[in-house]
Amino acid sequence: MPVIETAGLTKFYGKARGIIDVDLQVREAEIFGFIGPNGAGKTTTIRLLLGLIYPTAGNASIFGKPVRRGGGELYRQVGYVPAEVSYYPEMTGNELLDYAASFFPEADKGFQDQLAERLQFDPSRPVRSYSHGNRKKLGIIQALLHKPRLVILDEPASGLDPIIRVELFSLLEEMREQGSTVFFSTHVLEEVERICARVGVIKEGRLIQVSPIDQLPGREMKIITFRMAGGGPLAAGALPGWPEPEPVEGRPGYHQLSVQEPVNRIVGRLKDLDLEDLRISDPSLEELFMEMYEPAHQGSGQHAKQ
Amino acid sequence: MLSSNVFRKELRLNRRSLIVWTLVAVTIIAVYLGFFPYMQDPDLIKALDAYPEALMKALNLNAALLGDVNQYHAGMVLGFVVLATTIFAFMFAGGLVARDADLGTADFLYTKPVTRGQLMTAKVVAFLVSVLLLWLVTFATSLVVGFLVAPDDFDVGAQAWVHVAGLMATLAAGGIAFAAAPFINRMQGTTSLGVGLGLGFFLVESVSNMTAKLDPLKYLSIYHYAGLAEAAAGDLSVTGLLVLLAVFLVATGLGYVFLNRKEFTG
Repeated sequence: MPVIETAGLTKFYGKARGIIDVDLQVREAEIFGFIGPNGAGKTTTIRLLLGLIYPTAGNASIFGKPVRRGGGELYRQVGYVPAEVSYYPEMTGNELLDYAASFFPEADKGFQDQLAERLQFDPSRPVRSYSHGNRKKLGIIQALLHKPRLVILDEPASGLDPIIRVELFSLLEEMREQGSTVFFSTHVLEEVERICARVGVIKEGRLIQVSPIDQLPGREMKIITFRMAGGGPLAAGALPGWPEPEPVEGRPGYHQLSVQEPVNRIVGRLKDLDLEDLRISDPSLEELFMEMYEPAHQGSGQHAKQ
Repeated sequence: MLSSNVFRKELRLNRRSLIVWTLVAVTIIAVYLGFFPYMQDPDLIKALDAYPEALMKALNLNAALLGDVNQYHAGMVLGFVVLATTIFAFMFAGGLVARDADLGTADFLYTKPVTRGQLMTAKVVAFLVSVLLLWLVTFATSLVVGFLVAPDDFDVGAQAWVHVAGLMATLAAGGIAFAAAPFINRMQGTTSLGVGLGLGFFLVESVSNMTAKLDPLKYLSIYHYAGLAEAAAGDLSVTGLLVLLAVFLVATGLGYVFLNRKEFTG
């Protein structure tokens, strides 16, 4: 049974598009990355799952139970970290965490303290005095303190420094190992590449791709970046059957092309060229993402930007 | 079902507002009721004759009112107290609901394992407890000051009913605020609602007293249904109080419906 399931989930804000016809399944004990640029519909999808807003059409379920108006027990096993974390300014961090824990009799104070320690968070200060990063840490701790079976995070790493970011992803990985499901949205693809098993790509409100991260379209491509001796151009027709290499922005003399061939064949075809520098790499998620998002590049197999 | 942790937190988060408005009510009673002996000055009562009749009616002023401590307290002093407490109720009840949309705390509170109905109940009970406390302190202050200024004439029984009427008007205002608050996304909106409706009802009530033609307007004001002066004279308007209770219950019920439909778009 999927932990999260949506069918034809659609949301319009008046005439403005939120999401359209989103069919999504997130499995138990997986880390699922939900990616797309700002305004693509990531937050709308999350808010629909949490019952903060209601669908125009379609439906969503969590743990097999339909998301209904009015919230309730459905969210006992859910922890949520919003993109913009706002709490009661008159409370201290400790008071906010105690308040959050009061909704979950099973919450373990020891685990709450561990989370605060790992995220280097001082909960004794008033909420109003916290920086954006500290408010985010508070949001993460209050969402995880009851060890939820489903963690939903909207842009979780924004505002966190790199060390805390790594710690957060270790935490999420540990929770996954213990059986929790993690669903998080982001437009920082490094995060997704680091910990996600599967990703969903949302574009202009429509889910255009759901697949394991190593099976994303274009993942089988190899990106060849090279520089000819002296930085000169490659002779026309020097690599028959391959796309024309394109200059790499910001790297004079460097050219790049993408091909779907084994590395040994690529090396065999390049061995007679007078190369000064050569790099053969897998496409990054960012490059694949750009492919999916840039209609002009769609299907061209070109990765001229670095 | 009441979510007791939410109820306690709402009470705690709003205690400052409750204290401030209770002090306002206490001050109004202490100052205005404390002035009662000075209102007996024959020159002052005679001076009232110089005022236009319509204005006297609008301000609900007359010699009988100034001559009787129970009428004076109900019609004049508690008139202002009820104005203040209804403004408080609009702002307090409205703020209980609107704050989550304004501060962004809805993302925290409304994603916890409690229904919106339970959250609303916690907020409504927090409002009820706060209003009861406010009116208990108000009544206690009235008793103390009333017995200080007119120990022989201050009628505890009649004044108890006057305070009940004031309480009911305050509840009705809170109910209206609960119904309106799901449509308000800024705390300033509840302040505008409180001042606007509070003064609006007061103005409508005043204007309706001026001429017979405008008299029907009084039915648009919650103050009319409280019937404070009548209650002090032993003529409690049970119908009026039932109307106020109905306004509270129906409007609060609508508040549940509207909150359940509200979308927190962030």
